This record gives sequence, C-alpha cells and structure tokens, in this order.
Amino acid sequence: MGVQLPFPTPQIEYSLLLPVLVILGAAVVSVLIEAVAAESLRRTLQPLLAFGSLAIALAGCVGLWDQRQVVAQGALVVDGPTVILQGTLLILAVLGALLMMESRVDPAGDPFAARASTIPGSADERGFGARRQTEVWPLFLFAVGGMLMFPAANDLLTAFIALEVFSLPLYLLTGMARRRRLLSQEAALKYFVLGAFSSAVFLFGSALIYAATGSLDFAGIADAVSADPTSGLLLSAGVALLLAGMLFKVGAAPFHQWSPDVYQGAPTALTAFMSAATKVAAFGALLRVMFVALGGAAWDWQPAVAVIAGLSMLVGAITAVVQSDIKRVLAYSSVAHAGFILTGVLAASPKGLSGSLVYLVAYGFVTLAAFGLLTVVRSPAGEATDVQQWAGLAKKSPVTASVFSLLLLTMAGLPLTSGFTAKFAAWSAAWGGWQTGVVVIGAVSSTIAAAFYLRIIVSMWFSEGDDAVVVALPGLGTRTVVGVGVASAVVFGVAPQLLLGLVDGVGVFLR
Amino acid sequence: MTFNDPFGIIVVKVLGIFVLLVLMTLFTIWAERRVVSRMQHRIGPNRTGPQGLLQSLMDGIKLALKEDITPTGAHKAVFLLAPIISTGPAFLAFAVIPFGPEVSMFGHTTPLQLTDFPVSVLYVLAVASVGIYGIVLAGWSSNSTYSLLGGLRSSAQMISYEIAMGLSFVAVFLYSGSMSTSQIIEKQTSVWFILLLLPSFAIYAISMVGETNRAPFDLPEAEGELVGGFHTEYSSLKFALFFLAEYVNMVTVSAMATTLFLGGWRAPWPLSTWAGANTGWVPFVWWLCKVFAFLFVFIWLRGTLPRMRYDQFMRFGWKVLIPSSICWLLIVATARALRNNSTMDTRGLLVTAAVILLVVVGISAVVERQRIAATERDEAERGEREARSRRLFPTPHAPAAASAAALEPGEAHDA
Amino acid sequence: MIAVFWVCAVLSVAGGFGMVFSRKAVHSALWLALTMINLAVLYVSQQAEFLGIVQVVVYTGAVMMLFLFVLMIVGVDSSDSLVETIRGHRLASVAAVLALLVLVLTMINQATQSLALNIVPTGLEGANADEGGNVQGIAKLLFGRYVFAFEVTSALLITAALGAMVLAHRDRLTRVPGQEELSRERLADPATAAGLPAPGVYARHNAVDTPALLPDGSIAENSLPGALVLRGTTHDVREEVAVTRAAELASDPKQAQEEQS
Repeated sequence: MGVQLPFPTPQIEYSLLLPVLVILGAAVVSVLIEAVAAESLRRTLQPLLAFGSLAIALAGCVGLWDQRQVVAQGALVVDGPTVILQGTLLILAVLGALLMMESRVDPAGDPFAARASTIPGSADERGFGARRQTEVWPLFLFAVGGMLMFPAANDLLTAFIALEVFSLPLYLLTGMARRRRLLSQEAALKYFVLGAFSSAVFLFGSALIYAATGSLDFAGIADAVSADPTSGLLLSAGVALLLAGMLFKVGAAPFHQWSPDVYQGAPTALTAFMSAATKVAAFGALLRVMFVALGGAAWDWQPAVAVIAGLSMLVGAITAVVQSDIKRVLAYSSVAHAGFILTGVLAASPKGLSGSLVYLVAYGFVTLAAFGLLTVVRSPAGEATDVQQWAGLAKKSPVTASVFSLLLLTMAGLPLTSGFTAKFAAWSAAWGGWQTGVVVIGAVSSTIAAAFYLRIIVSMWFSEGDDAVVVALPGLGTRTVVGVGVASAVVFGVAPQLLLGLVDGVGVFLR
Repeated sequence: MTFNDPFGIIVVKVLGIFVLLVLMTLFTIWAERRVVSRMQHRIGPNRTGPQGLLQSLMDGIKLALKEDITPTGAHKAVFLLAPIISTGPAFLAFAVIPFGPEVSMFGHTTPLQLTDFPVSVLYVLAVASVGIYGIVLAGWSSNSTYSLLGGLRSSAQMISYEIAMGLSFVAVFLYSGSMSTSQIIEKQTSVWFILLLLPSFAIYAISMVGETNRAPFDLPEAEGELVGGFHTEYSSLKFALFFLAEYVNMVTVSAMATTLFLGGWRAPWPLSTWAGANTGWVPFVWWLCKVFAFLFVFIWLRGTLPRMRYDQFMRFGWKVLIPSSICWLLIVATARALRNNSTMDTRGLLVTAAVILLVVVGISAVVERQRIAATERDEAERGEREARSRRLFPTPHAPAAASAAALEPGEAHDA
Repeated sequence: MIAVFWVCAVLSVAGGFGMVFSRKAVHSALWLALTMINLAVLYVSQQAEFLGIVQVVVYTGAVMMLFLFVLMIVGVDSSDSLVETIRGHRLASVAAVLALLVLVLTMINQATQSLALNIVPTGLEGANADEGGNVQGIAKLLFGRYVFAFEVTSALLITAALGAMVLAHRDRLTRVPGQEELSRERLADPATAAGLPAPGVYARHNAVDTPALLPDGSIAENSLPGALVLRGTTHDVREEVAVTRAAELASDPKQAQEEQS
C-alpha cells in the first residue's frame, strides 16, 4: 500500500450556506417527526417546522446580501444572483406552503390524498376520509433545498445532484392529488419517466463537456473554452445535451411536452409552487452555466437558444388558444413565458442577466397567484378547470373575476403591470444584443397570447355561467398568496424601478 | 499489488487452491453428516474408508453418474449456465485469501496467497454478488414454481444480507486503514479485530450464514415448502455443482471471517509467543484450524436451529441487522475521529460515552414504557373482543322446557 | 495487459450486441451483465481498481439483479411483445446511433491528436502515484473537492426511501385478524369447526385444483383454494360427475327409479 498522505479537512463555510443547510436540515428533522410523532401532532408540527425553517433561511438569505464568495470547496457560489434567486425561491416556497395547507376550499380536505398508497376509488381510500398525508412536508422541504442549490451550483456535478434533489420530490408530490387521482398518478409517471430521461441527457452532456474541457468547474470550463475558442464537436454536443436537459426543466419548446399534463394532473397547490419555483431555479442555473461557463462560446449557443426561444413563444401562445382546460392554458402560457425569459438569456450580457432575473421574479409571483386562484372556483366534482365553467364568473364573485383578470392581463404584459416591466427588461436586453428577430417573434406571440387571455376575461364578464360552479371562500393562506401576487403585479408595474433597482444592485455572476 | 511470481508458481498456487477447496468440500460434507449424526445419537457414515472419510467421494461419483434430466419447459442454455455461474465465482473469491506469510516455494520466496490488490475485500463481495446470478437463473430457467420462488427468495435474501455484511466490513476498514486482505492481517499483529470490533464480528457472522443459504436461513431451498427451491429440477452433475458451490461458499465466508476478525493465519495468543509460530508453513495450520472452527459452527447451527419464517428473516435483516450495524459504525467512526483529531483524553472520552449512553438508555426506557402501555391497551382490547366472541360460541339449543330468557348464551357456556 | 484488453473488449462488445438483438428481456439483461463485468475487468486493468469492483458490486450485483428480479416474475414461457408502437422508431434509432458514432470517433480523434502533439497520457497510474493509491485518490476527491455534492446525495437517498414509503405503505384502518383470531373465528361456526373439506378427493384426480364431492355427489365449492378459484384454474369435474352418475344409475335400476319418482 502506498504512502498515507495527510488529508486536508475540507473547508465548509457554514454561515454562507445557511439557507440551504437550514432547509435540508429541517427536511431531515421533518422525516424524523414522521417517524416518531403521532398523527395529530404531525399535522401541526410539520407546517410549523416548514414555515420556521423557511423564515430562518430567508433571514439568512438577507444576511448574505453583500457576500460574493465561492464556498464549500468550490461546490456553490454565493453572489448577487444567487441571493436574489434564493430569496425569490424562499418567498415562493412560503406562498406555496400556504397553498398546500389550504383545507377550506375543498370539503374533502387538503389538496393532497389522505394516503397516496390507497388504490383510487377503493373503500380503503374512502376510509381515510379527510386525514392528511403529512409526508408531503419533508418532500416539499427537500424540493426547496434542491432548488436553492441549483442556481448556486458552481460545477456540473453539484448542479446535477441539486437537479435530482429537487426533481425527485416533485415527481412524488405530483402523483398525490386528493381529487382525480388517476390523472394525477398518470401525470406523475409521465413527469418521472421524462424527467429521468432529461436528467440522463443532462449527465451525458456534462460528461461530454468534461471530455472536451477536462473540468467540471464552471470556471475551469470557461478557461478551457476561452483558451480554445474554436469549439470542437465534443463541446458543442455537450452543450447541446446540457441545454436540452435544463430546458426540459424550464419547459421550453420542444422540451415542453410534459408540462401541460403534469400541470393539469398535479394537485393545483403544487402546480402553483412548481410552475413558479422550478422555473426560477432552473433558469438561475441555466443563466449561470451559459454566462459563466460557456460565456466564451456565446456565438455558438446563441443561434440554438434563439430558435428555442422563438419556438417556445410561438408554440406556447398558439397552442394555448385551442385549450379548453384552464390549467392547460396556464401551462402553455408558461411555455411561452419560458421563451420570453430565454430572450433575456440570449442577450448574453449583464443586461440580459438582470432582464431575465426581473422576468423570473415578476412571473413567479403572478403565476403562483393565478394557480392559487384556480383552487377556489369549484364544481361538485372538485376544481372547475374547464374554461366553459369559468363563464359568467363575474356575476358569482366579482372579486375573483377581477383579480383573475388582472393576473391574466399581467401575464399578457399590459402596461402598468409587472408583466410589462418584465417583458420590457428582457426584450430591451435582447434588442441591445442584436437579437431583433427573436424580439419580433416575441411581440407577435405576445399579441396571440393576449388574444386568448382576453377571451377568458370576456367569457368571465360577459356570458352566462353554469349554476353548479361556485366560488369557495378560501382560507387566509390562499388569500395571502393571491394578495401577494396582485400586489407584486401592481407595485412592480407602477413602480418598476423598485424591482429593476433591486436586481441591478446585485451585480453579475461571480467567477 | 501482485507478487511478481513467475508463471509456474502462479499455476502451482491456483492448482493448490482448487485442490484445497475441493478437498475441504468433501471433508465438510463428511464432517457435517458425522457431526449431525452425533448430535442426533446416530452414527453416520462409517463404512467407506477410515471413519467413513471416503463416503462423500463415493457419493460424489455416484451423483455424477446419475441420469442428467433437463425438464421439458426449461430454458436449456440458461439451465446449463446457471450451475456454472454459481460455482465459478465461489472459487474465484479465494484468489485474495491469504493462507500464510511468505514461504519458500521451489526456491522462490512468495506469500501464501494467489494475489492481492487494494480493494480485495470488495472483490470478494463483488464475486459473491455475481454468484447469486447462478441461483436466480437456476430458479428462472427451470420453469417450475418451486424453483422460481426459491430463486426469488435467494436473490432478495442475499442482496439484503450483503448490505449488512458490507457494513460490518467498514469498521474493519476504518481500523486497518486498508481494504487489502494482507494489509488487514498485518494490522492485526498485536490484537485481533474480533476483540476491538466484536459487534461487527457478530453482524458478519450472522449475515454470512444468510449469505450462504445455510440453516437456519436456508429459505431458498426449504425442503418443507419449496422441495429444494432453486435446485428442485436439477440432477446429476449440475446438481453436484450447486452442492459444491454451497460448500465452497461456506469455506470462503469462513476464510473471510478468519481474515477480517481472527487475524488470518496469525497464531492465537499463547502460541504466538513462540517465534516460529508466525513464519514459514506453520501458520497455514492455524488458518486451517480457524476455518474449521467456523465450519463446525455452521454444522452445529444446522443441527440445532429450526428454519426461520421468510418474513421474520427479512424483518430481522432489514430492521435489526442493518440499523444496528449502522449505529455501531457511527460509534466506531466517532471514536476514531475523536482519537485522531481531538485533544480529549481517554477519561474524557469515557465520561462522554457514559453520558450519551445514559441519555440513550433513558430515552429508550421512556419509549419502552409507552410501548408496554400500548401493548397492555391492545391486550385489554383483545380480551374484551374474546369475551364477546365467547358469548357467540355455539351452544346446543336449550330444551324448549327450559326458559330461554333465563340464560344468556355466554353464561350458559361458562356454566 | 494486451491479452486482457482483447478478451474483455471482444466479450463486452459481444454482450452489447447480444443485449440489443435478444428477443427475450431476460437474455438482454444477462448480456448486459456480461458487458458490465467485462468493463469492470477493463477498469481494473487500467488501475481503476475501486471503480471496477464497485461497478460489479453496484451495477451487476444490485441494479441488474433487481432488473432480473422483475423480469423473472414474467416467467420462462411468456414471450415479450415485440410490436413497435412508436412510428419511425427504427429510423430515429439509426440516426441516434450514427450521431453517437460520430461523437465517439471525434473523441478518438481528439485523443490521437494530443498524442501527435507529444502529450503522453499518464493514465491513472500517474494519478494513483500522486495520491498514494486509487482508493485514496478517489477518497480525496469525494471527501475533499466534492464533499458537498457527496453529502447532498444523502438528501436524494432519503427522498427515495420516503417516496417508496409514501407510495407503498399505509397505516391500517382496521386491525388485521391474526392466526389466533382466525382460528377462533373458524371454530365459532359449527359448519367449519372441523375445517374446510379437503380438495382432490376424487377417483381420478388428487390435485388441489380438483374439488371435493359431497356424499350426494354434488361439488363442495369451498374445498378449493381461493387463489385458484380467482385465477380460474380449477379443474372442472361436472362432466366426470355426470358420467359416473349415469354409470351408477345404469348399474342400479332401483336407485334410478327412486330418482325419477
């Protein structure tokens, strides 16, 4: 046996990792609570733990505001974009958790199945009644923990593991809806199979990039790329596969096939959290990879991203027009939004970074609120998600109808809403980066999207509705979520400098 | 880390190991029959050769000459392949087992070990896991329900017990700082690991019985339920190969236990004071004694214990063996880390350990009290239910003359 | 070393082909196991001992075994459906294979180019010598540079375990009666107090799928094991009963008269 070399103890900057560590630690504690506490105790203890840890993590995140440092032996980076993305994710997580707790809108209980293991429609399932599966809380916390790591990851290996850490719980939670369980389980299976496939693609891409550059570190890859700007086939193939893996998670066309089914099948509270937070986390990581590691090869990936951005916007907008289910409408609109955010990525400049970040923050709150609002419009069979059922909603509940109209208009990008601010920020960056073609496509698809948003609004206000559809009075949690969404839409729309200033202040990625 | 032996020496070592294993198999089969007979107040085979020693050889020849049957529905190629896959790895594992220190062999000085490399203990695990294929494929290819069930059981059983086995190795790795068999033996010069790591040894000793499908864990071939399990449909030479594999595996796991915990070929304490005890060919004798001690325990277990039920067996593996080995590993690792890094002296360590132990005992006492209370509640409930069912016990109808209302059915029964 | 390469390389490629062209899933699994073991040997011969052995323990020993476990339940006789449901599947596969081929050739080209530039690859031997061994080198990376990723993997494992629990396990709403209670319950009913009638008591069959006959010649349905009844694989004895009955009646005219009246 060879000589025993002294092993240097790895340096872990615990204080700088606080948000991630608190959430993952809470998740582990939460699993322990599942193991030892009685069911009645768990029902109060688990949400308390979740909210408590989210609050501590958020406070820790604020404390990291001025930190610019590579931490944990180079695994993660704490810099401006990391902090703002982690902060956004944590707030979205708090809101998502509020939706998950909601048990007043549905007389059958909270959004999740009483026991996910019961066979749908069996006597066993009915026997559990309105009881709760408290295991959703540890799963949720693990997902949040993974999401916090993903945009901060500084090498492809950590990025991959973070990706898996947040994906796996989401696959599980997708299949745990209380109502329409077969649809939910089908969605979970689709999500899992396609997600596992995309993870494999991501990993294959990482391996090829390693083969081409000899490094997994973003900084190392960047050095290798700038040393040899005539990127070989290996690097191009690696980047293409890596991009495909990440674009799957953000749901950009043509990697969006899963998203309508999953958004529709998953419990709406989870869809709300997932659609907002997954996008923030995945775009954060995508931005870091593209800007830090592959910034030197921007000329190579820009055409591909431009095509994908254009395709996403058009496919999302056009397909949404023909949907009859409101969850699918929102799913396709999220595909279009992925395209809009990609225009910001396309600029490959600090302006593009801040434009994308602004878009992510604005979009996240609005989409969470929109999905949150879906839960209150109900028919006897559960949520009334058919567009037809939403007709004449204004007569039943003017407040719901007007709030939903506002959220839709924000998504369409009406001036004086945060949607306009976001689109302006992303497009001006792309325009400045000479990506005029994509901006034009963006404008066209925005118009198409506005058409179908308006169609829903018109049907809500100006047509007769179905009497079986009622608007349930939600609990404080859902109201908070919707309120925050509306507030963000208005405040960031009327006073865009608040958001722009915040994002501009964080600076660029640390190398 | 090969030993730079000339080709001839390697051939001699390979042949030596092969012959040794076949001889040990024949001897163990004979020993098993004699020892179990003894335990059952019988005599056992004593006619063929001195003390019946040649009995297993004769049986082997007879077995090989029997008709070789391949069932109609069987998958022929895999059916033939399975016993080979099962036997091959069993022999392969012995490549890294040290039998003794450096000896002189035809003028060459070479260790009494075929080869060694930095991960040779893991190699044994790997080879064992390939051996499972043989059993699983035998079960599948026979196209018989008994065989299939036996094959499924055995794969589940071996994978489960391999985890506990692997975990018990880790403590040894921590103490020896190596995964090579010869290094591990070297680290046991002063004290054997069985003394330092008794729980690890216990876990290994239990899981090695599960790993070799021996009683009381011989569920894959449980005669009573599965008519022989995975080898139900096998006959003649193919069956003999399975038989051989089982006994070679027994020898292998015994040799591993010897290597990892009993100092390998090192002489036991009073003998080790004699300088010649750990040099030359003499240590091979100590090695042989230790391995035979383990083999005797195997036989003893078979003669003594009834077979476990399958669910109890799996529960034991997953809920007792694996958690306890993880806990033990945690303790070992903590102790090592404290020894290496902290300034705490032995007394401080012991005091801390005592405090932790007290806390653990306290918590478990509370949990146990709750559990007892719950059990009592359950018992009371059951008693009530039984009382109810007793009332429902069918009693003959009372004669019409007797007043039916006078007696409750239950009371009638009690009376 | 060259001999090891040629033997293992040929076998592992053969295993790959075998896996793709096998018509039975179990065969494919076995071919894949062959490939994996040969790759492991190649790793070991390239000084990556730890990787090679772990490849066998984890992939061949555990992952493939679990695959096999599932496939085995299908049974020997059944043939897998070979209908291709995806249109253009073959064309896409060929395209993907060609693309991969180009990729691999590029990689080889790159490697040979660096050889031409007199950059001699040191292989793992160099790295192993630097770190004091293969295991030590991997340990240093795993617990040094990548310690965070390594630790976070535990979150993944916990999630997986928790997910398996959530999807497969639930608390029982009612207490499941145990052996003792079931036997008490059975004794409580005089009809079954002496046990259910045993199956197979019929002149021509004695298997468990054959029902017992009651004294009057009718079939005792509860003598059959429930599992067989559910599967519908019980032996139908009605015809045989009828034949026997007819023969009895023919031999005993008095009884026949009684039956008719």
